[in-house]
Parts: sequence; C-alpha cells; structure tokens
Amino acid sequence: MPNDVAPPRAAPAAVRELSYAEAIREALAQAMEADPRVFLFGEDVGVYGGAFGVSGDLVHRFGKERVLDTPISELSMAGAAVGAALTGMRPVLEIQFSDFVTLAMEQIVNQAAKIHFMFGGKASVPMVVRLPGGSGTGAAAQHSQSLEAWFAHVPGLKVVQPSTPHDAKGLLLAAIDDPNPVLVFEHKLLYKTKGDVPSDAYRVPLGKAAVRRRGRDLTIVAASIMTLRALAAAERLAAAGIDAEVIDLRSLRPIDHATIADSVRRTHRLLIVYEGVKTMGIGAEISAAIAESDAFDFLDAPIARLGGADVPIPYNPVLERAAVPQEPDIVAAAERLVRRGEA
Amino acid sequence: MPVEVVLPKVDMDMESGVIAQWKVAEGAQVHKGDILFDMETNKSIMEVEAPASGTIHALAPVNGAPIQVGTRVAWIDTSDDAGAAARAAAPAPVAHSRRAKPVAPPRTAVAVVSQMHAGVRATPLARREARARGIDLAVVRGSGPRGRIVAQDVAAHTAAATDELVPLSPTQRVVAQRMAQSADAAPHFHLTAHVDMTALRQARDHVAPRILREIGVKPTLNVLLAHIVARVLTRHPRLNASVEGDGVRLHNSVHLGIAIDRDGDLLVPVLRDAQRRTPAELMHDFVRLRDAVRSRTIAPADMRGGTFTISNLGMYGVDTFTAIINPPQSAILAVGRTVDTPVGRDGAIVLRPMASLSLSSDHRIVDGVTAARFMADLRRALENPASMEDYA
Repeated sequence: MPNDVAPPRAAPAAVRELSYAEAIREALAQAMEADPRVFLFGEDVGVYGGAFGVSGDLVHRFGKERVLDTPISELSMAGAAVGAALTGMRPVLEIQFSDFVTLAMEQIVNQAAKIHFMFGGKASVPMVVRLPGGSGTGAAAQHSQSLEAWFAHVPGLKVVQPSTPHDAKGLLLAAIDDPNPVLVFEHKLLYKTKGDVPSDAYRVPLGKAAVRRRGRDLTIVAASIMTLRALAAAERLAAAGIDAEVIDLRSLRPIDHATIADSVRRTHRLLIVYEGVKTMGIGAEISAAIAESDAFDFLDAPIARLGGADVPIPYNPVLERAAVPQEPDIVAAAERLVRRGEA
Repeated sequence: MPVEVVLPKVDMDMESGVIAQWKVAEGAQVHKGDILFDMETNKSIMEVEAPASGTIHALAPVNGAPIQVGTRVAWIDTSDDAGAAARAAAPAPVAHSRRAKPVAPPRTAVAVVSQMHAGVRATPLARREARARGIDLAVVRGSGPRGRIVAQDVAAHTAAATDELVPLSPTQRVVAQRMAQSADAAPHFHLTAHVDMTALRQARDHVAPRILREIGVKPTLNVLLAHIVARVLTRHPRLNASVEGDGVRLHNSVHLGIAIDRDGDLLVPVLRDAQRRTPAELMHDFVRLRDAVRSRTIAPADMRGGTFTISNLGMYGVDTFTAIINPPQSAILAVGRTVDTPVGRDGAIVLRPMASLSLSSDHRIVDGVTAARFMADLRRALENPASMEDYA
C-alpha cells in the first residue's frame, strides 16, 4: 500500500514484512534504544508480554526498570505517566483494553491535556498512551469500544489511529517524539495483520492523512480497521464500475481537513466510515467541516456517514458484527451515494 | 396572518400572465393598494396592487415564464403592525388590478405554486455549475431522489440546450396560434395592384399644415391610406366582414386594425369607426395607439373587434408581399414600399411613385371579382384623393 510518509533519514532501509504488533514492538525498542528517557509500563506488559503480545520480549531486552508491570489501576498509571513526563521522562503507557481509559480520564483530560497551557508553556507532558480498541473479538460491551472521538474532542491531546504495520510503527515513534500527550488507538483485530515495514526508525507525521486509493466517483474517509474494510469495499465497487478514493485519516487530532476537502473537490461525494458510535462521532465533525468549507460547493450528493450503531457492543457475535460497519455495508452505502438512491 | 397574492384574471380569455417586474423587494413593507408588480398579459402590461398591508415574502421569480391565473406569486405577512388594518378587515385573497375586477382563482392553481415555492432541489455542485453556465435550475430536470438536480443533470441540460430555446412571449403565442388557425382554415387568394401615389402625396402636403395645427402632428401617408381604405370598404361589405358559422357577418362600421411591431411582438391595435373619422381624427387615434403599444400600456380593449387589417412593410424596403388574414376577418391589405417607377402616361414614359398593394382574401366569403372590384375602387380613390371632401 502506498503511504505518504516522510522520506527515510538514512540510506535505504531494509523492508521486511512484519505484523502490526511486531511493528509496534520494533518502534518501542528503537525508541528505548535511542533515548534512555523512554520506558513502557502497563498491565501485563512485562513477563506476560502484553495482553495482545505487543511488548513480547521487551522486558528481557530492556529490563524491568524500563518495561514495568503495574497494578490494576488505570488512574494511578495515568497519574504516574503525567508525573514522569513532567519530570523529564518519555513514558509510554499501555491501557490493556482502551475501554479502561475511562478510569484514567481525570489524569489524561484534566491534567495531561492542560498542563502545558495552564503553566504558560513552561511545562509539557510528553507522554504516550497506547490503547487497544475496537470490536470483533467477542469481548462484549466493556472491552470492545471505540472511544477515540472522546479524546479528539479535547484541546491539548493528540489522537492517532494507525491502520497498517507501517503506520503503527511510524506514528508511535512520532508520538514518542512529540512534546505533547498523544493517544495511540490501536485496533485489536489489526495486531496480526502484516505489511511492509522499513527497518529504520522512520516517523509518520502526526496530523497527516494518507490517500490509500485514488478514485473519481466518491471519497471514503476511514481510519484504523475501517480503512482496510473501505479498501476491500473499493475493490468490489471497482468491479461494479464505481471508482472510490479511500483516505486513511491516521490522525484524528489534529485532523487533516485539507486532504479530505481536496479529495471531495475531485470526487464530489463523501462517505465517512468509522467504528465509533455514529451519533456525535468523528463523522459528524468531518461532515460539518466539509459543509463549512469551500468544498461544499463541489458536493453532488448529501454527505453520508456509516458509524457504529447506537448500542453497547453486543456479546452475540452476529449482533457484534452488525453493530459496526462491515465491508458489504460500505459497498452498499457507496453504491447508494453514487447511484443517487441515497434518499 | 399570511395573505396570498395571486396572479389576477383581468381579461375574459386570460389564462396566464408573466411577471414583468416586481415593484417591491423581498421582505418589504407594503400597504394595501401599493403597486406590487407589472403583469404582462397576451396584449398589454398592467399594474397589480397589494391586497393587504404587511411584509411581503416569497416573490415569484421574474423569468419570463407564464404563470397561471390564480397562482400565488407572493405572501403578505400581516402579523406586524403594518398589517393590523388589513387583519381587521377580511383578508382579500386576490390581488387587485387597476384595470379590471379580479376573479377568484381556481383552487387547483394554488398547488402548482406551492411546488414552485418549495424551491429547486439541487446539489451544491449542480448549483455551482448552473451558476457558471448561467442556467436557471428551474428548467433543469433532476434525476436524483425526489427530483434532486445533480451536476450530471446540468451537464445534460447544457448539452441539450446548446441551440438556445427561447420561449414565445404571451403575445407571440397568441399570434402563432391565430396565424396557424387562419392559414389552416381560410383559403387565401391574393390580388396585387401597383398604385400611383403622386396624388396622395400631394393631398398629404395639402392637408398637413391644417392637421398639424389641429392635433400637433403631421399626418403620415399610411394613416391617409387607412382613411381612404376605410371609406372604400363601406362600399364593399364582403371585405369588411367575418365568417360566423355558416354565415357572413357584414359589419356596419370599419374597425381598422393596423399591424405594429414591438420588439418582435406583432400587435394590431384597432382604429375604431374609421369610416367616419377625419384624417386628423384618425391620425390622432393612431398616435395614441402607437404610443400605447410602444410603452406597453395598450389595453386589451384597444386590440379587439377589428374588421379589416392593414399591414405595411414598405419602411423595411419590401416591394410587395402577401399577408395572412387576421381571423375572423375576411381580408387583409399588405402595403409595400413606394418606389419611383417608369410608367406610361399619355404615350410617354414617366417616373411615378408607385406602391404595391396586395389584398389577401378569404375565398369562403370573398370571390375574385368582389376582391378585384374593391381593388379597382381603392386604386381610383388613392389616385384621386381630391375627389374626397377631406382632401379638397
């Protein structure tokens, strides 16, 4: 898959096929090798290797001081991250299931996001929170949510959602570099997906979307696993004579409105696909931003959103699938939009 | 309370009108009796008054499209202070014309307007492209849900409309209908005569100073010709007649229609009782009618009831032509230009100002000899105007 990434800094790096989880682990290792201030902590990230196997053998390579298992208390973990960041460290916190971040809201939203502003820029909070999210694992309502929009609403936070192993590594390294709190929403279903990953410590810039597929007939904006579903849908749409452009947001905050607007000016139709609950979700933000922008005049159909159903994610696997957009849903929505049956 | 402003019916045969111009702006305060808009009907333009006081909204677009009588063309919101008086009185549902008593609109007409005021359903891109191409979206067919116009519809419309389609004006539609009807129903035949205009010119020069004193304008040859035609017609009743069922209506008076062009619209105002008018009176009448046509204030009544028509294209350099009868009349006289032409007079060739007159007659009620006698009589009169009292 093509990526809009910064050119490699060094001589051409070797490109291997890695899984999304392996790419994240490589990013963590390279960051810890390059900077002694970087450390990883969270529930079961040490000897267990992480609930989803992301940290793997890192505890053996970097020791228990830099790969720390924590008690089951997201609030204290997040508070520790804020304190460490304020005192000069570069903490990377793993929240075992992103749903548990609700327990850490105070530290992330009320402290981490605001300290830089409330201290007049004299302090900053360079912390990273990694959050495995999303549905599809049969983990039910308290372990399957997509809460990224909550944080994208907060000034002072940055929010990214990698969809590929390449971006999982590059965005995480960029997040660790960043002097502000960055939340990296990883997707549980993506950990085993594979892709080409350069061996060097490249960065994928925050706030920059990637056009994954060029098309003429409509723009599908997606993020995380929805990007993969949108690309698969685009192939089926191509067979039906509909040429879809697929944009992978990669960052929700800051969001790359320019890339979306530029695409809409060319395709004249916009479909936004996201796993989070549709109501009050990122689709509303993108839709409104386009309607407010110069791109409005180029719309040839109402903007369409496909988002999660207004229900807690069900445990029943059939209902769980039905609760979030799937590939056939994207195909159908795109066809309605282009064939003008959208009413 | 909102009061509808509907397109009034001001003429018995009026089915639709065109809004020529709004005299008020959207959202303006209007008072009962204020002039709201100019309405163009088949024959004329008239002013339409506000039926109530208040704030006017939802003005129908001025786009030249005919609007059915009874159609709502605006709302007047009387709920503010300006409308208090109107609210006290029973709200008048129909706008008043200054010229005619309004007639209650047919109920079905209102629905047509509601659709119009629902606005055009079009995407932003379609609107943008229509703006860029100067296309009125109201005439574009929408292919989207609920008739929504999408960009492709604008493109299709543009492709279909590279040769401009110009709607006929109300007047043009009436002319088209009547001319087709005449050409279809009345078997036309044509007689042409070349008439020496020397004497008529002299007669005009003779009477011009007196007429100028009387009415302030000099008489034109065309009006003097009309004057003489009217006198001659009194002796040829079949040519001042109309087809009526299985009979012929012979008219006592000569109501002479004079064809006048107004920006591509053909209008035929009528010189009433022309057979008993003096040249000065006829000239006076003609000037009034011509000015009314040009200023678009001609009343429908001034264009009704003609019994014979004269059409003159001489000023355009046309030598001779034949005209289509203005139904239900029995004949029309087509006048070409007057040209100095060599003619034989007393064994010598001399130059004389000769005009070509062509008479088209309806063969159902006029036969060849009847028409020929009229033409011979007309030639004699035109070539000897001094024999008539008015030119002595």
